[in-house]
Amino acid sequence: MKILLLEDDEATRTHLERVLGAAGHVVDTCASGQDAIFLGSTGDHGVLILDRMVPGLDGLGALRALRAMGIRTPALFLTALNGVEDRVEGLEAGGDDYLAKPFAASELLARVNALARRPPIVEMRTVLCVEDLELDRMKRTVTRGGARIDLQAQELKLLEYLMLHAGEVVTRTMLLENVWSFHFDPKTNVIESHMSRLRAKVDRGFGRELIQTVRGAGYRIDGG
Amino acid sequence: MAADTAKPGPMRSAAFRFALLLAAVFAIGAAALLVVVQQQIGRYATEATNGGLRAEMTVLEGEYAQLGQSGLLDAMARHAGGRPEAPYRYLLLDADGRRLFGDLPGTVTLNGWSTVEVTERAPENGQIRQENMTTLGARLPNGLALVVASDNYDVQMLRRRLGRFTLMSGLGITLFALLGGYLTGRLFLRRLARVNHAVDRIIDGDRGERLPMIGFGPEFDDLTHNLNRMLERNAAAMEALRQVTTDIAHDLRTPLSRLHQRLEQMQDSSVIEPAMVEDALAQTAGIFATFQALLRIGSLEGGVGRKWFTRFDLSELMDRIHQAYAPVAEDSGQRYLANHAQGVMVEGDAELLAQLFTNLIENAIVHTPVGSTITSSLSIDGGVLLVEVRDTGNGIPLAERANVFRRFYRLDASRNTEGSGLGLALVSAIATLHGAKISIVDSDVGLVVRATFPLSR
Repeated sequence: MKILLLEDDEATRTHLERVLGAAGHVVDTCASGQDAIFLGSTGDHGVLILDRMVPGLDGLGALRALRAMGIRTPALFLTALNGVEDRVEGLEAGGDDYLAKPFAASELLARVNALARRPPIVEMRTVLCVEDLELDRMKRTVTRGGARIDLQAQELKLLEYLMLHAGEVVTRTMLLENVWSFHFDPKTNVIESHMSRLRAKVDRGFGRELIQTVRGAGYRIDGG
Repeated sequence: MAADTAKPGPMRSAAFRFALLLAAVFAIGAAALLVVVQQQIGRYATEATNGGLRAEMTVLEGEYAQLGQSGLLDAMARHAGGRPEAPYRYLLLDADGRRLFGDLPGTVTLNGWSTVEVTERAPENGQIRQENMTTLGARLPNGLALVVASDNYDVQMLRRRLGRFTLMSGLGITLFALLGGYLTGRLFLRRLARVNHAVDRIIDGDRGERLPMIGFGPEFDDLTHNLNRMLERNAAAMEALRQVTTDIAHDLRTPLSRLHQRLEQMQDSSVIEPAMVEDALAQTAGIFATFQALLRIGSLEGGVGRKWFTRFDLSELMDRIHQAYAPVAEDSGQRYLANHAQGVMVEGDAELLAQLFTNLIENAIVHTPVGSTITSSLSIDGGVLLVEVRDTGNGIPLAERANVFRRFYRLDASRNTEGSGLGLALVSAIATLHGAKISIVDSDVGLVVRATFPLSR
């Protein structure tokens, strides 16, 4: 996938270019908002990664300009700040996701993938399937191999989010933000506790384990 | 520094200028009063003189009607009595114009009112002087002409005395006001000089110095009191800043030096072990977490957060936290119970409040032994919103309680336990932003942290 990266710090830019390149992406880099508008206006990128604070026109202004030109490419903001204010401003400018520096490379990759493969239709599906696991989003029921599995509300939300991103890595922070609406790092293993309960209900006693731990990155559900 | 600036003297002080202004106003007022009183007295005196002349004329006419010319002459002689201080002087002419009685000049008007200038001997010292007299003339039967005159010397004396008195008292009061203003000004300056000296000492770095009371009135003491409160607040802020700077330096030194050691080890060894890299990364993550928390506390205390306040369901938030953390507590051998009133709507920043309560719950989970019970409760009690997190752990010693909300404070003095020591400082900052009071409540068992939110909005 082709990715546009706006980042003024050269060391960070080179590092991110390498990380994204290693994951099989092609990266266009630039260091100013003006260049980002110029490069982004072609519209042939899968994802835009924009640093919010660059000299001159910043990432926020660049994205506003691109959105005004009708460019709908999913965009992710990088920022050194992490407050509600920054997040809301980013979303209002047309951003789709938000990542505070410093971040792990795996976190950025997971979010970029989630953004790129987000077909709008997925959100509309009412029944999610991975192998023989089925989740009915309207009835709020889960079955595996036809057998009913009882899940608590938050376990169901967790499974739903995993299944919406089936085949992709979802990180702990993505789960915290999207399942629990927690925008901070907990000191305890909230995710692990819930994940082990979910696994006990969804995977235990069945032949294949659908939920996998991706070391150092997060979790993934797929039928592999 | 401040000693170089010219000190104003008492004459230039505000009190003196005020007194000067008051004196001027008083002088103008006194002058106006004098003019009015003079006029009133003049009018009264004229009326009194005229009335007296009419009465005298009536009496004399009566004498003449009853006793004839000799009776009239007798009466006039009796009334004048040859005394210089006699109230009336007369002129009686017969039909041919010959003077029968009296010493008024012949030029006087014989009919009706007029004034005439006469020479007279002053009654008090016998000096000759010119004087205006008011005269009333009338024709009597048989062609006689009678003129009665009276001086207004007394009235003029009264006017002069009143003028002198007003002038003297006006001067006296003005002088008195000026003297008073001068003295008050000097008093003020002396008191203010003490305040200025105190300010000088504060500028020179004596942070413990406070302004002395100015005195004179509650309004000045209020001012001093408020200024001192401001100084108190600033001193606290500066102390906090100094504390934080030291703490940051201390708290970051440990992970930074560990990171440095790991990097040196990697440099020296031919093989880079993944465990070393992981440890180095963990150190940087810790440093970043500390920075993040500090920035958050900083921005909260800077008072920028209220912009994102919304009305939301606090019960739902607390339930969500309970559902998120009940399994965590269970996994570490504890129980987490919730007792939340439902449908409690509040005005605030939902994300920050989630962080506040999460910090309290996580603290309880991390710092209480296996088998403990943690309870969070949400209730409305007497117009305030109470959120309590209680546990059955070991609690916090009384002496330490005041400190736990400070940045970087840890009960474990060696700082070997996990965490940045910023959790409760962040809790405190978020609570303050929401106008909430956060406190540690006395309890027989464990720790009870209570947040009290003002309701009403």
